[in-house]
Amino acid sequence: MAASGFEEVEHTADWALRAQGASLEELLENAARGMLSLIGAKPGEGEATTWRLEIQGADAESLLVAWLDELLYRMETQRVTFGGMRIHVGPDQRLAAEIEEWPLLRVGHPIKAVTYHNLAVEKTREGLTATVVFDV
Amino acid sequence: MVRKQDLRRISPVLWEIPVSFRDDMRVPVRVYADEKLLEAALDDRSIEQAVNASTLPGLVGQVLVMPDVHQGYGFPIGGVAATRLPDGVISPGGIGYDINCGVRLMASSLRAEEAEPHLRDLAQALYANCPSGVGVKGSVPLTLKELDQVCRLGSEWALKNGYAQAEDLPRTEEGGRIQGAEPATVSSRAKERGRPQLGTLGAGNHFIEVDLVEKIYHPEAASVLGLTEGGLALQIHCGSRGFGHQVCSDYVREFQGAVQRYAIRLPDRELVCAPLNSPEGKRYLAAMACAANYAFANRQILAHHARRSFEQVFAGKLKGWPLRQVYDIAHNMGKIEDHTVDGQKIRVCVHRKGATRAFGPGFEGLPPDLRPLGQPVLVPGSMGTASWVLLGTEGSMAQSFGSTCHGAGRVMSRHAAKRAVRGDQLRRDLEARGIHIQAGSLPGLAEEAPQAYKEVDAVVEIVTQAGIAQKVARLKPVVVIKG
Repeated sequence: MAASGFEEVEHTADWALRAQGASLEELLENAARGMLSLIGAKPGEGEATTWRLEIQGADAESLLVAWLDELLYRMETQRVTFGGMRIHVGPDQRLAAEIEEWPLLRVGHPIKAVTYHNLAVEKTREGLTATVVFDV
Repeated sequence: MVRKQDLRRISPVLWEIPVSFRDDMRVPVRVYADEKLLEAALDDRSIEQAVNASTLPGLVGQVLVMPDVHQGYGFPIGGVAATRLPDGVISPGGIGYDINCGVRLMASSLRAEEAEPHLRDLAQALYANCPSGVGVKGSVPLTLKELDQVCRLGSEWALKNGYAQAEDLPRTEEGGRIQGAEPATVSSRAKERGRPQLGTLGAGNHFIEVDLVEKIYHPEAASVLGLTEGGLALQIHCGSRGFGHQVCSDYVREFQGAVQRYAIRLPDRELVCAPLNSPEGKRYLAAMACAANYAFANRQILAHHARRSFEQVFAGKLKGWPLRQVYDIAHNMGKIEDHTVDGQKIRVCVHRKGATRAFGPGFEGLPPDLRPLGQPVLVPGSMGTASWVLLGTEGSMAQSFGSTCHGAGRVMSRHAAKRAVRGDQLRRDLEARGIHIQAGSLPGLAEEAPQAYKEVDAVVEIVTQAGIAQKVARLKPVVVIKG
């Protein structure tokens, strides 16, 4: 795994991304950064603002999909991309995050959706890992 | 992992994985392929995904795998599965995120050789008039009330608002309007994404293509469809945009809970489903119909812009430029249909994900001139290669729930294609072959390089040999527009 905490995995038609983290918070952040890297999101000029997000998942996998879905939805509807992230996951997979937002200059390749395909957040010696397949 | 020896050969172009292959299979899996295409399919996880799909409750017949299959998520792309009503399931992932992604074919009376000096102008006009690419807003911004009407009416909304000709609708699958659409079953998020995007092509593998009708194989059908050898035609490939993607995402998430409520065990969470007669299943069907109708209207508006482009370029210079609709088909859809299974006519929900409906002669849903022939099927090839017009057959009704292939099918990942092919070189190569290209992104162009796909001609040979389609015409591209 690259030092970035994410790497692309070969997939015939769509995109797959393996992310890892010492904690669930770090896994979520690395998965988000990997997704933004695949999309090729470039920030434009303008002031950064802070977006506060609270969501909940039924389990770690659902939280991961919901988190990435939220970022995609906000990117498309608000035309923004994301910088620094402070993520906290409390009991019952309840996530609270503060995310730095920048105006979006352009996207290289859009992602249609985040899938649950064979999705499992698994424990490793280093922490947690998951492979997410995106429909593109 | 599925190996070649796990499949039993039924005919030179049909293979079967019996239910004994895995304990959780409910029906066999049948694969349409010759040896070469089968080996290509076994190279990735597409066949394993079909085996996973064969575990859905309420399946009948077999899960069918078309020769253009490739690995997807949950279901493979190129998969067909039918579940019985009322208690079989519907699986949003078995239809896909781009609900009613499909293809429209239109034809003019222009001769390709007389149009040739104007094709560069035509490429520019189409690119300017048909919004494409990432984050592009549509030509028809909607209020929420108007969006609800699009959801209910599909192509009929386009007709009422001046984006269609009356003759277009009978030449569209289901007349361009799926019954049972209920906008209240669609989330505000899907509506927010869909409202500004109507009348847009999008990016990825979506395209508009101008084609030369290169060869006619079925003169009678070609004549009814308005296709003549040497004539100029146009294809539009796109779907329901962010609206459909959000509808699918919403229901895949909701159904994670439904499978627990209905005690459904699945090998992959992307296959989540709900019984067709459950409140969840009924709501998804109504929401899917909204997205399907949005997609019909979307392709209809793009067709309107294509007509404007032809007029801008050819009016006053050449005759025969008006575009008539040949047909419009969906290749990501769940449809409630009647089929004969084990000698009994039953009502089923046919999931087609990367597969096309291909109803045979006599189908009442076809307009009277097409009814004796069978339903037209449009099979676009990869960029720069041929496309096909086929017809559904009695064989497709008997074997494959009235379904056939939908395209060429990928063999190379997008990343590998970008490593192997440079977008600027590909554009030069295609232009050297007389194909005019307008593309929003060169890396995006490279991802769709012909080398990344199977040969569409080989795919069409399999479905025609198997008897689940017959050939009408082969088309050759002369202009390609990509987002």
